[in-house]
Amino acid sequence: MKTKTFRYGIHPEERKHLSKDAPVIKIEAGEFVRIPLSQHIGAPAEAVVRPGDRVKAGTLVGKASAIVSANIFSSVSGEVVAVESGETITGGRCMHVVVKNDFEYAEERLEPLISPSREDIIKRAREAGIVGMGGAAFPFDVKLSVKNPIATLLINGSECEPYITADYRLMLEKAEGVLRGVRLVAAALGAAETVIGVEANKRDAYEALKKAAGDDVRVELLKTKYPQGGEKQLIYALTGKKVPAGKLPGDVGCIVTNAQTAYALYEAVDLGKPLYERVVTVSGLAVAKPGNYFVKTGMTFAELADAAGVCAQYVKAVQGGPMMGISMHSLRPSVTKSSGALLLLTEDEIRSIAPTPCINCARCASACPMSLMPMKIDALILKDMVNEAKAYHPELCIECGCCAYVCPAKRPLVQSQRLAKKLIRSAGAK
Amino acid sequence: MPEAKEKLIVTSSPHVGSGLTTKKIMLHVIIALCFPLIAGVVLYGFYALIVVILAVASSVGSEWFYNFIRKKPDTTGDLSAIVTGMILGLNLPPTAPFYVPLLGGIVAIMLVKMLFGGLGKNFANPAATARVFLLLAWGTQMMTFIAPIDYSSGVDAVRLFAGFVDESAYVTSATPLAAIKGAAAAGSTDVNLLDMFLGNIGGTIGETCKVALLASLIYLLVFRIIDWKIPAGYFLSVAFFSLLFYKNGWNFILPNLMSGGVMFAGIFMLTDYTTSPDTRAGTWIFAVGAGLLTLLIRRYGGMNEGASFAILLMNLLVPLIDKGFKSRPFGYKKPPRKPKGEAV
Repeated sequence: MKTKTFRYGIHPEERKHLSKDAPVIKIEAGEFVRIPLSQHIGAPAEAVVRPGDRVKAGTLVGKASAIVSANIFSSVSGEVVAVESGETITGGRCMHVVVKNDFEYAEERLEPLISPSREDIIKRAREAGIVGMGGAAFPFDVKLSVKNPIATLLINGSECEPYITADYRLMLEKAEGVLRGVRLVAAALGAAETVIGVEANKRDAYEALKKAAGDDVRVELLKTKYPQGGEKQLIYALTGKKVPAGKLPGDVGCIVTNAQTAYALYEAVDLGKPLYERVVTVSGLAVAKPGNYFVKTGMTFAELADAAGVCAQYVKAVQGGPMMGISMHSLRPSVTKSSGALLLLTEDEIRSIAPTPCINCARCASACPMSLMPMKIDALILKDMVNEAKAYHPELCIECGCCAYVCPAKRPLVQSQRLAKKLIRSAGAK
Repeated sequence: MPEAKEKLIVTSSPHVGSGLTTKKIMLHVIIALCFPLIAGVVLYGFYALIVVILAVASSVGSEWFYNFIRKKPDTTGDLSAIVTGMILGLNLPPTAPFYVPLLGGIVAIMLVKMLFGGLGKNFANPAATARVFLLLAWGTQMMTFIAPIDYSSGVDAVRLFAGFVDESAYVTSATPLAAIKGAAAAGSTDVNLLDMFLGNIGGTIGETCKVALLASLIYLLVFRIIDWKIPAGYFLSVAFFSLLFYKNGWNFILPNLMSGGVMFAGIFMLTDYTTSPDTRAGTWIFAVGAGLLTLLIRRYGGMNEGASFAILLMNLLVPLIDKGFKSRPFGYKKPPRKPKGEAV
């Protein structure tokens, strides 16, 4: 069967077999959960509880404080013991609501919506604190409130990052729920056409979705290639449209969202359940029982690591995929709405951190799905030649990491693209 | 339960990478270079091996010495000096006097590579530049080619050790290049294509045996070390311009492809990462241009062979090609040019 794809990109070692066949297991929170009030792009939520307040799982604890912001809910029932500053995944700090778990798991729900209108769905996405769960954590209601008419809704089920299998298990185990969510998203956007793209290495998920999809939703098989799930790459693979440089998918009449986000919308609309739990893959060669876990936000990564077991010395703890995830300074931060995975990587798995001189092999340029020339930008920006670097358009870099993955000199190419973006922006601001 | 190390590594993404390193690439090239080296030793005797070893020793020694006097960390561990040395050695005649590879290695590494900043910074192919230097410095020694050993009449000790013994003991041989040049106007050559294919002709150590070179080409393509566009573009261009420049050109396609350094250059020298263009379009221009220059020199120039000069000239054009051909980012459209005279 012919699969759809984009141009260039790479075939990283998949390592999905570690956790692919592990059904999603629910793990319960410990005595305390520490719920960050900033789990999304945009303004942190404002705490609406105080120490001593009783909360249930699903009680609003943080209220969206701006348009680009999202509501935050307690993930367990119990008593708020503190609202305090705590460590985040990126190594910064933000306010956390600390809840002492009473282990009763009393739940609080929103009113389920019956035959909701477009506005109802968008409103519910906001009320339930839904954000993009693929990693970007962009408030979903903002994404749904598009001005341009949307011709095509694309659902990203490619999960092209190595190791991660959370979306795969969800699509396989909850195909009906995902499909229901997809239809709700389509209704909210008024999209004429809906396409779900699933990579060829997840054929059973593809079959499951295909079975659940009617005539209104098309399910397509994508070639297993990284970054198949990149927004612009996915649009090109599924529709043949190129998003012009500096424009958004909406400008070509497309919106891309991820399968787990659609599922969260289904739960919020049909069950009235706000977003406070998600599927997280715990994997890596240092993990004893790699698997997929249904986790409450606010649990720490250390609890996750304990649940899955650690069997070897790890040198890196990554939140998210190994290509675009964030390496954490410790396991103390809390799981957020957009934490797709926790990877504990051993010395042998990680990329060398000692760069050698560039040999100009141009492997980075031939791998780049955006057809940039990372080596040129790297060389120029390290010499502070910001204006010259600008000619190579680092601002279009999607930071997928293909360049650095293939680099035989092990140069930190993504880092230099980021640096270039930043320096160009600050030079422009002057 | 084993604990994590005291401190976790925190870096920018990506956190995984391919297993390919610069050193591994160099190792692959060294393995590929061993095919023509073995063929060269079989064809021309043990002295050929000495020539290559001297070139390698001189290259590696130069790099080490350069770093030593500049008080920089030793870089010979990346094996690139060995590759340069081998390519240089295989580009020398099998009886080159010992000082030729020694000096060649010093020129290649010191002048062309290290002075310009070392690995990845050289402006031209070090081995090709050194070869051109040696051609100009020792024209006679560089143009003396011996006939290959004839194993059908029993192993001849003198021939096997040619180069160790006195010069008068050599059986020198003209390369087919002279014959091709002479026959250009006539429209047909009497070169033996089978001999050229097997390497049963005079020439430099590495360039004559096409069987070994094809093995190298396949090896390097299978391991994706070299860009297929360069040998493809170069060989096709040599074939095309043979057709164009020579009377009854089809008679000259195979002789031109299989004589001199064309195959060796297309596989090992034009494919040098540093001195080849970065973009797909640029690479085609580079490869085709090198073929054109090679044939121009062979047909109309004063010399029989043009591959080395073609490489050098195209190497020097690479910065210009890279300037002219930048890859166009996905979804990027050039902003429309402003009409002349309009205020910016």
